[in-house]
Formats: sequence, structure tokens, C-alpha cells
Amino acid sequence: MDRLTLEVLWNRLVSVVNEQAAALMRTSFTSIVREAGDLSAGIFDRRGRMIAQAVTGTPGHINSMATGMRHFLEAFPPESLNPGDVLITNDPWKTASQLNDITVATPVFRKGSLVALFANTCHALDIGGRGLSADSREIYEEGLFIPIMKLYDRGDPVAPLFEILKANVRAPEEVLGDLHSQVVGNEVGGRQLIASLEEFELDDIESLSDAIIDRSESSMRERIRAVRNGAYRHELEIDGFDEPLTIRVAVVIDGDAVTVDYAGSSGPVDRGINVALNYTAAYTTYGIKCVIGPDIPNNEGSFRPVRVQAPEDTILNAQPPAAVGGRHLVGHFLPSAIFGALAQALPDRVMAPGADGLWDTQIFGRRPESGAPFTYVWFSAGGTGALPTSDGLSATAFPSGIAGVPAEVIETLAPIVLEKRELRPDSGGAGTFRGGLGQAMKIRLRSNEPFAVSGLYERIACAAQGLLGGRPGATGAIEASAGSLRSKIRTTLPAGAVVTLELPGGGGYGPPWKRDPERVLSDVQNGYVSIESAERDYGVAIDPERLEIHEEKTRARRAEMENTQ
Amino acid sequence: MTSYRIGADIGGTFTDLVLMDASGTTFEIGKILTTPEEPEKAVEQGVQQLLASAGVAACDVSHVVHGTTLLTNALIERKGARTALVTTKGYRDAIEIGREHRYDMYDLFMERPAPLAPRRHRFELDERVLADGSVEKPLDSEDVTRLIDILHEEKIEALAVCLLHSYRNPVHEKRVGELVRRHAPELACSLSSEVVPEIREYERSSTTLVNVYVQALAERYLASLEARLRKLGLTGSLFVMQSNGGVCDVSTATRFPVRLVESGPAAGALAAARYGTKMNAPSLLSFDMGGTTAKASIIDDGEPLIALEFEIDRRYRFKKGSGLPVKVPVVEMIEIGAGGGSIARIDGLSRLTVGPDSAGADPGPACYGRGGVAPTVTDADLVLGYLDPSFFLGGKLPLDREAAERSIRQAIAEPLGMEVAEAAWGIHRVVNETMASAARIHAVERGKDAARLPLFAFGGAGPVHAYRVARILRAPSVVFPLAAGVTSAVGFLVAPLSFDFVRTLREELEAMDWERVNEAIADMERQGREVLGRTIAEEDIRFRRFAEMRYRLQGHDIRVPMPEGVLAPGSEVAMRGAFDDLYTSLYGRVQPELAIDVVNWRVIAEGPRPEIELPAASGASRADDSGAKGQRAAYMPEAGAFVDTVVYDRYALVDGQRFEGPAIVEERESTVVIGSGARARIDGSQLIVDLPKD
Repeated sequence: MDRLTLEVLWNRLVSVVNEQAAALMRTSFTSIVREAGDLSAGIFDRRGRMIAQAVTGTPGHINSMATGMRHFLEAFPPESLNPGDVLITNDPWKTASQLNDITVATPVFRKGSLVALFANTCHALDIGGRGLSADSREIYEEGLFIPIMKLYDRGDPVAPLFEILKANVRAPEEVLGDLHSQVVGNEVGGRQLIASLEEFELDDIESLSDAIIDRSESSMRERIRAVRNGAYRHELEIDGFDEPLTIRVAVVIDGDAVTVDYAGSSGPVDRGINVALNYTAAYTTYGIKCVIGPDIPNNEGSFRPVRVQAPEDTILNAQPPAAVGGRHLVGHFLPSAIFGALAQALPDRVMAPGADGLWDTQIFGRRPESGAPFTYVWFSAGGTGALPTSDGLSATAFPSGIAGVPAEVIETLAPIVLEKRELRPDSGGAGTFRGGLGQAMKIRLRSNEPFAVSGLYERIACAAQGLLGGRPGATGAIEASAGSLRSKIRTTLPAGAVVTLELPGGGGYGPPWKRDPERVLSDVQNGYVSIESAERDYGVAIDPERLEIHEEKTRARRAEMENTQ
Repeated sequence: MTSYRIGADIGGTFTDLVLMDASGTTFEIGKILTTPEEPEKAVEQGVQQLLASAGVAACDVSHVVHGTTLLTNALIERKGARTALVTTKGYRDAIEIGREHRYDMYDLFMERPAPLAPRRHRFELDERVLADGSVEKPLDSEDVTRLIDILHEEKIEALAVCLLHSYRNPVHEKRVGELVRRHAPELACSLSSEVVPEIREYERSSTTLVNVYVQALAERYLASLEARLRKLGLTGSLFVMQSNGGVCDVSTATRFPVRLVESGPAAGALAAARYGTKMNAPSLLSFDMGGTTAKASIIDDGEPLIALEFEIDRRYRFKKGSGLPVKVPVVEMIEIGAGGGSIARIDGLSRLTVGPDSAGADPGPACYGRGGVAPTVTDADLVLGYLDPSFFLGGKLPLDREAAERSIRQAIAEPLGMEVAEAAWGIHRVVNETMASAARIHAVERGKDAARLPLFAFGGAGPVHAYRVARILRAPSVVFPLAAGVTSAVGFLVAPLSFDFVRTLREELEAMDWERVNEAIADMERQGREVLGRTIAEEDIRFRRFAEMRYRLQGHDIRVPMPEGVLAPGSEVAMRGAFDDLYTSLYGRVQPELAIDVVNWRVIAEGPRPEIELPAASGASRADDSGAKGQRAAYMPEAGAFVDTVVYDRYALVDGQRFEGPAIVEERESTVVIGSGARARIDGSQLIVDLPKD
């Protein structure tokens, strides 16, 4: 294949997977998929190698789906597949490390042979069990486990599976609706692929995928070679379930390869925050790519130079039947751990730790009008870490790629009232560049009955640390006006209780006394930073009446800060 | 006495003007340099020159229609009013929190545009309306008057009001509006429930902010333009193009300037729609390729498709999600960073890429000889023999072929180890592929198959690339209108007077309260009569109605056209049928067991569509029987080599004439390239090329 035809076909595949994702989101039955974008979509060659992904979704889905396809093909080798077949699984150890994440894979045929598979992973609104929580002790409590099997067989739905699903989930209409969308998305992608193959008179995509993978791999290796060889170590602490956990990482750059080793990290726990290795690998390759090759296409080739290892006695390679429902409460912190290590080699290209862990809130209650039970889930983000050249982003998800859901949509779909959703002043870690702010939310129900809240929250005890002299961001906080609320556990609250969530801020980058005083003043004028914090943390004295910088006091205070560093 | 119409397209470089008589025949064409700071100045001068050269008296002009990028520029450069936002208590940060989303997954350094109102100018009122429209906490008028005092102190010039669930119950917003009018009449004030009464607080407040941010500017500009035209003796009406391809009068434009933001590009799509209808090709893909960008939009059954949202001030120009969302109807188009000036280079993965950055007009492509060294698409087109170096813009701009070859050799051919011609073909092909790929996705996302749509090609570079783009799309044919350079300006004169209305009344189709729906529709139609009735007779107003429907629990609607007349029990059967048809064509399957909701009802009020006549080919400059003016070597991929290609003079071709590719057809502002095996014919004044079927 000549190189220009390769460019053309490569772009074509990217547009095909974007069409796949667009159809999936537009037809979705849940705000998790269509508003929050908690999904991934991609195309695989018949050897199960991912060659292109849609520009949407979360690394935890994309990269674990990428490594998951070979399990599908082990269970259903190409010769056992037929046109009209659709495969499904939510096996945490083979795909996205959580039963809620359902992967649907559709083989595509040309002239009678398998040419590719389209797959997507979506977060199901419910999968039975305890609901989205971390307080299970074994996977069996976390819901319905679907081994790799057929969802459609030669075009016919596998009726018993649909029946089992319907009987096991709390919101069957939404869950089955989204399965429909997952199937539709893959079909739209498949149709486009076949049309392109016809146009280019190709019988398969094998030589195309070889070229894409080789090219991406060699570019990634070239970038790695440009980094100074060495073993860069870092350690960070997070809340964990009952006690804090340590994530210990060694990023070893050796020529054109990287090995990321988590030996020495905390061991597995008997609650649902354990991580399957494929999910660990997903966020590890993602973190490495953000620093070393953000512009290199994300596919099998860009994963190859990155080796991920975690001993089985760590929480990052938990074995069945460990509970894994809240695995992102650990997995989302891996990029920050990697950035901390790579800050030693590439300080200009890393971000300080941020809130990192997405805050998932699921509410279970009854509708005031009908008394019918409802459940609703949404995700919220704290602040991201500061960068070498700019402030962190407030209330923005990282490393997860999800989006928030508008309050008006939440209140329309569920009998929930969000009394506020605002930024938290002083929650961004001080620094030459400031961490992004967390947000505060106040939630109540329009009903006179008790209700349950299951919140998967992190960084309530352990703050996002600053980088290279930057200060930590604020920790998160949760509170209920009546009853007691705990993170990572489903708790029932009395009727009328108001829940307040305060999400963590991101860490700062560089010493705060080096921050441009005008930026500090602007932060104070806009209420991102208080006058007290401006003086205490940044050494910028501001006249509270006139909101002007007191030059002399500022010079003195900053000199003092610099000296005590 | 005849009544004439003038269309004015204010572009980045040129302001194009077209004068038509009552029958819709183009009478005179004008081109004048745009005056970016005061665009009305160039319009005034252009109109004056146009009238003089046509010998038409100013008082014989019945109306002037125009579109402008003035507001877009003010938004990008942040040169609007000092603007405040007022929200429901607890929500002043909704505009900044946005969707909590990173539009680029891997770029740690990604930026987001700042809200138009900084946090210190965002205020809250302690009131609450719930999702069902009920008032939970009434608004206290005293809070509003206190707020107005603060706005005065802060020297605020414009106020956007966006209270929670106001799309459902606007009572509090309306009250704030009344109090502002009473106590601070000088303050520009926009209510979200009037600008865009739709669910989603972030998008609604963003749109309302944009509206009020540019309101004073729009008002000043339109008043000045009106005064200048009056001074010339024009007594007719001044109309403004909206982003949805309809025109409105100055008073509506001043109230809802957010609807004008994307008005320029809409005109080209409208022109494509009307030309197509005239030529019995009501469905086509409009393809407009200029110097910096290409735009593709689908014309469906004589109408451009309309989207309900777009973005402004994108941090990354072509990246979805990197801008501020604006929810107003807009002619759907995909803008691609691919034009004649787009720069070709080798990226970090040693891949040949083209655009999205452009050499623009200055320094321009290497072949312009104005200091540009980077190879561009125009350089490649020149090297491939598609452009005549001595007949670019009719010979006004001589091109330097050697400079083009040099730039391609250095930047592309040598690093990739290939011949210059091969590299030039690579550039041409990559840019075509980029445009075709974007156009195809655009089509598919709207449930259309680009392979069934003829291409309608215009703009400076469009005719050079359209044939190859059509080949990639497997389109049946390409239509090349005469005078592709002013096609957009013609678009202003074919737009009907129009305005859109929407009501969110979410209900299940099978349990519809038809009385309430009929009331809502009647109310929107009444407003339509009010807005349009200022300018045209009531009996000339036409209404089109749509229901935005989805399966219950889905989040995206599809827009289904509605039957005429009063709705009643039983109407749901036809509506479900129409929904099923549309859904199947988009997604391949339906779910008959599921309930369908209607989310929004939409009414478009429209005046009569102005007529146009397509000019006939004159054969004016015909020297011999063929209309050919010579031959030159042009690269034809079918032969894999440069082939001696006949060059036709567009002005020498006559109606009914036929010829075969490979061929090149030249007119002053553009050049048509046709590949081997294609069959070309002149139909009226249009050049139509049928692609080979293989």
C-alpha cells in the first residue's frame, strides 16, 4: 500500500469510528452515555488489534476495550462467527473492570469472511447487585456478570439473555435501550467500513492495520528515546476504603521502551475498590501517552512500547472474586502518579495532581407523584492540577473523559433538586499556576420519604499534592443535614435530608510567591481566592476596600516566603 | 418603474454586491474591498457604485439584504458590552462549570474560552422554579432593585437573565425584565426565556450572554447602515440575513442579534438550494471552497438543513467542544480547515498533512510571490497544471510556477523521497480526502448518503477540487454555476423573510394534551404574524411546523415535519409513522414497543420566496465551434501522468453543448477541473459534469 493511500484510508477509519460513536450517543437512552459520554467506540482488525478509536469517551473504557478484544476472539474464534452475530460481556477481568461497563462487539464480514470488529463500551445505568457502590466484599454482590457470549445470533436476539437482564437490573428500559444503541452504533460503523472497502477494492484491512500499528509504534518509540534513560519513582496517597492506600510507581525509561511497575503499592482490600490489571494498564498507557506522545494516534501500536506490571499482591492487579465496582477510585489516580515520576525527567510537560477521581452519585428513592421507585446516577468533577504554563481547569474531569449533566436535565429526569452547583473559593492549590477549583453541590429530593445515596468519592482525607513547590488543593467534604453520609457506602437518609458535596481542588504548580500579583488580584476580584489566602498563600497583600495590591507589604511578605522555603 | 433588490455579502476581504430586477434576473455585479472596522461604509460605497453603473435610481430599490461577520469578530475579539449575568441562587458558576468536560482527551494543556461575563459580574437571585414549572420560591422584587443598583455601580452595560427552568415557566425572568426596563431603561437586557426557551442551563445562558453582549453593537451598526442608505436616497427596507437562512427586519435583528452571528456562510447554502430547485436537483451537497476554509452543507428537497446549535470562539478552530455553545437555528454546515491557502507539511509521524492553518492572502501561497514559502494547496494545483499561471483571477494575479515547485520540493517531495508532481498530487489528494471525509460524516450524521447527492461547487477553489471530491464521495454529478465568485451574494436575494419559534412541552405521544399543543402552536403563529406582519401582508405568511421527537428516555430528538391543521386525538398515528420512517433511515432499526415523547414543538413563520432567474449561457466570447481556447498538460490520475488537456472558455460555451473529460473550464474567478471518463454538458448557464460509473 502506498503511503498516500494509507493516509487516506487511515483518516477514513477515524471518520468511521466517529460515526459509530455519534450514532450510539444520539440514540442512547441514558444521560450517562449521551450527556456524560461515558463510552468508547473503536474498530479492530481480525486479530483483535485496535486500530482506531472515536474521539470521545474515557481512557478506562477505550484502552481496556483495546486489550479486551483478544478475549472475545479467544472465546469466539473468527471461524465461529457469522454475519448478524453480536457479542457481549461485562467481565471485569477481560474488559473495563466493572460490571456496569458493558462491551458490545460486532463482527463485520466482506465476501463471507471476517474483516473487522466494531466494539463499544458503555456504562450501564444499573447492573443489579448493590448498585454502584464500593461496599461489596466480592464481585458476586456487585450485580449480574455476563461472560463473553452472543447477544444476537445470526441476527436473532438471544432472548434468554435479554430476559435475564430485564429481571436483574433496576432500570430495564434504560439498560436494554442502551444495548440497542450499542448495537446500532456498531452497525452504522460496519456499513461505512464496507462501503469504504468497496470503494478502495480491498478485501480486508490487514495490511492497513499493520501499517497503522507499525507507524504508531515507531513514532511512540522515537518519542520515548528522546527522554533521558532512568528509573523515575513516585508515590502518592489516597483515601482508600477504611484506611489510606499508597500507589507506588516506578517509570523506567530504557531506550525506546517504558516499563511502569507498581510493586510496593498497597495490597487488595476486601471492599469494591480493587482494580483488575487491564484497567491498571488502561490508565497507565494513557498517562504515559499524555506526557510523551499526546498527538500520536491511540491504538495497538502506541500501547506496545509501554509495559505495565503490578504484582498480584497489590490492589492494582486484584484477582477474582475481588470486588471491583469502585475500581476507578484507585485507577483514576494512576496518571497523577506517573506525572509525579516523570516530573523528574520532563517537568515542562506534566500536570500537578488534581481531584482525579470522578465523583459518582447514585440516588435511590421513590417518585412523589406515583410512588414508583427510581434510581439516577450522575458524575461530577473537581479541579484539575495546575500546569507549567497555566492554571488548572475548575470542575473539569481528568483523567476520565466524561461530561457533566445539566441540573435542569437531572431535575427533569429524577425528583431531585440541586440547590446549588458552584465553584469552591480557595479550593485550588496555590502555586505559580493555581490548581483548578472544585465545586460544591447541594442535593435534596422532592419527596417525603427516606432515600438512599451511594457516593463513590475520593480525596476527602488525602489532598491533591502540588508539584515543584505548588501547594495541595483543598480536600473534598460530604455532609447530610440529617442522618450520616459516608463515602463509598450506600446510606439511607431520612426524608427531607439535604446532602452537601464539596469536591476537591487541584494541586498548584511552582512556588506560590512567584505567581504574577495581577493574577492573584484578579482571582480575588472574581472570588476564586479570598483576600486572606492571597496574603497567606501567595504573599500578595490586597486592600479589602479598594481591591488594590499593597506593593510594599507584598514585597516584604514574598521575601519572607522565599527565605523560609 | 421597476423595483430592484440588492444583496450584499460582506466577506473577510471583499464585499460582493448583486443587483436584481423584479423578475430575479441578475442585473449588475459589484466587488469592493471590505472595511472591517466599519463594514457599513463599504456597503454604502458598493451600493452607490452599483446603482451608478447600472443606471438605476436609488428610489427604485425595494430592499437591501445583507449579512455580516461583524458580530462574530466582536465575539472573537471580545469587543462587546460590559456584560453581567444573573442566575438563580446557587448557579452563577453554571456558565463557567459548563459541561465539566475535556474536548481533547490527551492534550494536558488544552484551554477553554472564558465566559463573556467574568465571575465578579455574575449575580444571583434567591428564587426557584422547579422542573415542572411550579414556583417553589417566589421572586422578591426588592432583590431585583438592589441588584440594579449594583449593576449601576459596576457600570454594567448589558444584562443576561437566565433563571433555572425558565423555558418551562418564565414568570420570574419576565418580572426581572420589567423591573430593569422601569429602573434601568438604558441597560440592554436579554431574557433566556425569550432568546432560547430550551432546557439546559449552560447552553441557554451562554446563548443569552452572546445575544446581549453584541446587542448594542448590532443596534449601532444597523442604525448607521440604515442612515447611510437613506442618505443615498434608498427608501426601501433593509433586511438582515439570519444564521438559519431566513431574513428579518432591523428591529427583530436588534432584539435577537445572536441569530445573525453565522449569517454570512448561510447565504451560499441558500443559493445552492435555489439554483438546485431551478435545475430540478432539489437535493444536493453544497460545496464552497475558498482561501482558508471549505464549507459543505446538505440541501434536502430544496432546503438547507438547519441545526439548532453551534459554537463560537473556538479555542481550536475546528475542534468541536472548544467554543462557547449557542443554541439558535443555523444552516447546518461543516467547516473544514481546507482552502487554497492551506499549508501542506510533514508531521511528526512523517505523514503528509494539509491545513488547517492557511497562508491566507498575505503572504499567501508560494506562487503568489509575496513572500510565502510554505507550500499550499494552490501551489499544488498550479504544479498539477490545473491553474493557468497567467489567467488567475482573470490574469489579475500572475502566479509563479517555479516558486510553487520549489516550495513543494523542499517541504514535501525531498523529505518523502518522491517527485515534485507526485508530492503535489499527494497534497491535492489529501485535501480532497479531508473535505470528502468531513462532508461524508456531516451527511451521515444527518442520515443522508453523500453518494446520492450531486455536488454544487462554488467559491474560489471549489471548482478546482469538486470533481475529485465527488469521485471520493461517489457522487453522481457535479454542478458548476456560472459566476461562482458571487454565488453567495445571490443567496441573500433568495432568502424569504422568516423567523423560528420553539416551545418545550414534553409529553408522551400517546397521551398528548392536544388542546395545549394547539394553543402553543397558535401562540407561536401569532408571534410569527407579529414579527413578519411589520413587513409583509398577513396572507403571505406561511407556517411550517415540526415536532422534535424521541423514544422516551432518549436525549436527542429527531425533527419530524407535522401535518397542517388542528391536531386532535388520532394525530399520533401519523406522527409515529413519520418518526419511524425517519429513525429507520438514520439508524437502521426501530423499537416499536417503546413509547415516544414529543419534546419541542417548532414553528417557522415564513414570507414568500423571492424569485430568481438563472442567466443563460451567452457564448459571448465564442471564437470557434468548440468553445475551446487551447490545451495544457494537466495531471490526470486515471493515466497516472500529465495529459494534454483541452481548456474551455466558460464564456464561450453555449446551452446544450457537450464534451468529455479530461477537460479544464476557465472563468475569471475560478477554474473547473474535470477528470477522464466524465461527461460534461451545459444546461442553461450551468456546467453539469456526470461522473463515470465504475
